[in-house]
Order: sequence, then C-alpha cells, then structure tokens
Amino acid sequence: MTSNGSVIELRDVSLCYRLAKQKIPSLKEYAIHFIKGSLAYEELWALRDVALSIEEGETVGIVGRNGAGKSTLLKVVSGVLKPTRGTLRRRGWVAPILELGTGFDYELTGYENIYLNALLLGRQRKEIDERLDAIIEFSGLDDFVRSPIRNYSSGMLARLGFSIATAWKPDVLILDEVLGVGDARFLKRCEKRIEEFRKAGTTILIVSHDPEAVRKNCQRCLWLEQGQLEADGPVDEILDRYREFIEGTGTRAGA
Amino acid sequence: MIELLRYRDLVRALVVRDLKVRYRRSTIGFLWTMLQPLMTMLVLTMVFSAVFRFDAPNYPVYALAGIMFWNFFNQSVITSMNSLRSNAQLLIKIPVPKAVFPVATVLAGVINLLFAMVPLFVILLVTGHPIRPAVLFLPVAILLAALFTLGAGLLLAPMAVFFYDTIEMIGVLMTLLMYMTPVFYPMDIVPEKYLWVVRFNPIRSVLEVFRDPIYFGKIPPLTHLTVAVSVTAVALIVGVVAFRRSSDRIAFYV
Repeated sequence: MTSNGSVIELRDVSLCYRLAKQKIPSLKEYAIHFIKGSLAYEELWALRDVALSIEEGETVGIVGRNGAGKSTLLKVVSGVLKPTRGTLRRRGWVAPILELGTGFDYELTGYENIYLNALLLGRQRKEIDERLDAIIEFSGLDDFVRSPIRNYSSGMLARLGFSIATAWKPDVLILDEVLGVGDARFLKRCEKRIEEFRKAGTTILIVSHDPEAVRKNCQRCLWLEQGQLEADGPVDEILDRYREFIEGTGTRAGA
Repeated sequence: MIELLRYRDLVRALVVRDLKVRYRRSTIGFLWTMLQPLMTMLVLTMVFSAVFRFDAPNYPVYALAGIMFWNFFNQSVITSMNSLRSNAQLLIKIPVPKAVFPVATVLAGVINLLFAMVPLFVILLVTGHPIRPAVLFLPVAILLAALFTLGAGLLLAPMAVFFYDTIEMIGVLMTLLMYMTPVFYPMDIVPEKYLWVVRFNPIRSVLEVFRDPIYFGKIPPLTHLTVAVSVTAVALIVGVVAFRRSSDRIAFYV
C-alpha cells in the first residue's frame, strides 16, 4: 500500500458457466452420453468483457437485476471463480463475505469455529490467538461461545461470522447482501466498523438490492446488465438511470 | 500446492477436527480404531485356517498388517472424495486452496494408522513374533503409503464433485482391488494363471514394503523398494496434475 493505484483490475473478464443440456449428474449417464456422442453443453456467459479498475479506498456499489452477474463478479474478485477469459489483478488481503457463516461446523463450539473460520480465510493460528477476545467481544456472544453453534439463532451466527471476517482490516472487503441480518443494534456496529475500514483505506465492494443502502454507503456504482457493465460512475447518476430503466422495463413487462 | 504451506495451520486444524469427530461419536471411539482391525484379523484367521486350510506361519500378523494398510488406503481415498464434496458449499464462498481437504484427510488417516500400530505390536509380543530392527524402516514405508494414497485421493476427489455416483463406483472398485492385492492371502495360494494380476498390481509393492519389516522382519529388497517408490511417484504426479487441472472447475459444479 505504498502508492495510489488500482487495487483491483479486471481486464476484459468473461466468465462462462458450461451447463449440460441434459442433466448429467452421474458418471454412468456421462458414459452413456459420451458413447452416444450426445454430450451437448449450453454456454451461459455470466460476465462478458467486464473491464474496470478500482482504486485503493474506493467504496463501490453494484446494482443490477437478478441474474445480471453481480454475485459472479464478486466471486471472481474474491478469487473463488477463475475467469474463463481475461485477467484479474488484485493486491492485498481480501475479506469476502459472500454469505455470513460459510464454513461453520455446526458440531463445533463458537470458540472452535472462530479458529476454523479465520484459518479458512487465510489467517494464522497466532494471529487468531491475539484477536480472539476482540472477536468474542464484538460478536456479543459472551458465554455462548462455549456451546456448539447448532444451538445458535441465525442472528447469532451472522454476528459471529461478521466478527470473524472483519477482525482484521482487509485491503478489500466484499459484501454480498449480508447486512440484512442481525438486529438493528448489531447492524449499527457493523456499519461503524465498515466506516472505520473505509477511513483506513480499505476498498469496499457492496452488492445490494436496496438502492438507498448503496447511495448511503458508496461514491461509485457499477450497473450490470446481462453480464455486461452497463454503466460505471458516480452513485447518484447511476442509480437514477438504473431506476428509470427498471421502472421502464417494469411497466413494459407488466410485472 | 505451494500455497498449502501458508495454510498449514488450517491443515492442522482440519486434521484435529477429523480426529475429534471420529472419536467423539462414541466413548470407545478411540479403542474402536484399534479393535476393528483386530476383530477383522480374528475373523480372517478363523476363516482361513479352518476353511481354506493353508499354512502361513503366524498368519494373524500377516493379515493384521495387510488389513491396517488396506483400511488406511481405502478409508483415506473414500474420505478424500467426500471431503471435497461435503465442503463444496464452502469452496464457492471462500477462496481457499482446495487441496487442503484431501491433504488433511490423508494426514488424519496416517495418525489413525499410527494408533493402530499399538495393537499390532501387542499381537507381535503375544504371538512371540520376533521384532527386528527392520521395524525402524516403517516410517519410510508409511510415508510411501501416505503419498501413494494422497495421489489417488487427489485424482478422485474432484470427480466426486462432478459426478455424484463416483463414490459408490469407487467403493465397488476398491473391493475388487482388494481381492487383487494380497491383503489377507499369501502369494503362494494364488493360482499360476492369475499370478500376473497380483504381480502387476501397483498397490502390492507399496503394501509389501509396509508389511516386510513387520512380518518378515527385514528391510524390503531393493527391487521391491524401487517399484514401490516409482509407483508412488507416478501416483502422486498424476494426482497433483489432475487435481490442478480440475480444481478451478470445481466451483462451477456445485
């Protein structure tokens, strides 16, 4: 983090899901189709030639209709999906919160899950030892950390998940519709923490179906339409255009 | 694969979890790991000495060493396949090197194999089977067995994600493979015309390298050792290459 410059850079990134025309979930059926020469695939391009660069410290919202490629874009940036074509360049440690509580083992205690989850996110045991108390404190779980998390409410799971994923200041924070859970008080604390990261120079990407949340938190907004980057610019301008588009197609489609 | 070093704390945690889950299920879970091969050995000893009637000196030791090896191989491969599939949901949400799961599975298998050594040595003492210095060669033999198994696990684990019936299929193949390997029968009962099947079975050399120091009390002959090392190297290379080629696709199939 020496100079300014892009933290994330996508060069003509395309991503293709290759879906079998017939459902071929088993080796047996695969063999049958292979012998008959009837293996056919349907290509579904979830992203098409997306080119963009995000600077250090930017907070970027992503909007678009269902299936426009928002989550796929976040997965590519997180490194979970590899682009079919094009390249991704990324600097620093990424905290991807694509879903709160992924990787939890429901048989283990909250305490054990803190270790497991943080290790999955690429942390070392020693770092976790140091932050353990802070994580428990932020989650507000107190003595519950000693019981198996299968006894937790969904709000508690979300709190624990968020506390672990944000225990270290990430260089890139990726949020996919995750802030709708937990109570209002915890939501405030989450927003405060995100705000602190932002001030400290973390680059943030947010997917949300709530345009007002995007307007409040982001300066810049990306609008995806059928896998393509429809527009990229200041948040107010993009959101206004997006709303006009949605209302326009909404009435035309009669939905 | 080099990324795995950065994730070694995670691998260790997964191994610990694997062992905990295995032993927490039942209070005698830990004892069970030791008892299970012993009981299999008893059954086989009864069957083979009473029904098939062949004379292998101290057959229980021969069978037990074979069963321990096979259990390790079979369980590690099947669990590796399950490990990727059962963590598939996680793999599409968190960018983690996918090889950590099969690697942790095989390591947990090695630890279980070491636990199972305890009853083996008890049997050796009880039956008065000589324990020779050659047992010091066992760490090398276990390392070979582990790398061979890891190769097989890496090759098969992604397939279990792509096709749901792979695990059942491999389960059947494993049984076939077991009968093609002298796990519990001695080589000299194999009829002449089927000998080539056993001879060219790549797993056999890895098994014999493990069993020689225990049963014959000797370091495996260089010819056996060379074959075992080559077979292991090939299995590992094939496994790593196949895994690297397919691991980027895993997230698409979940």
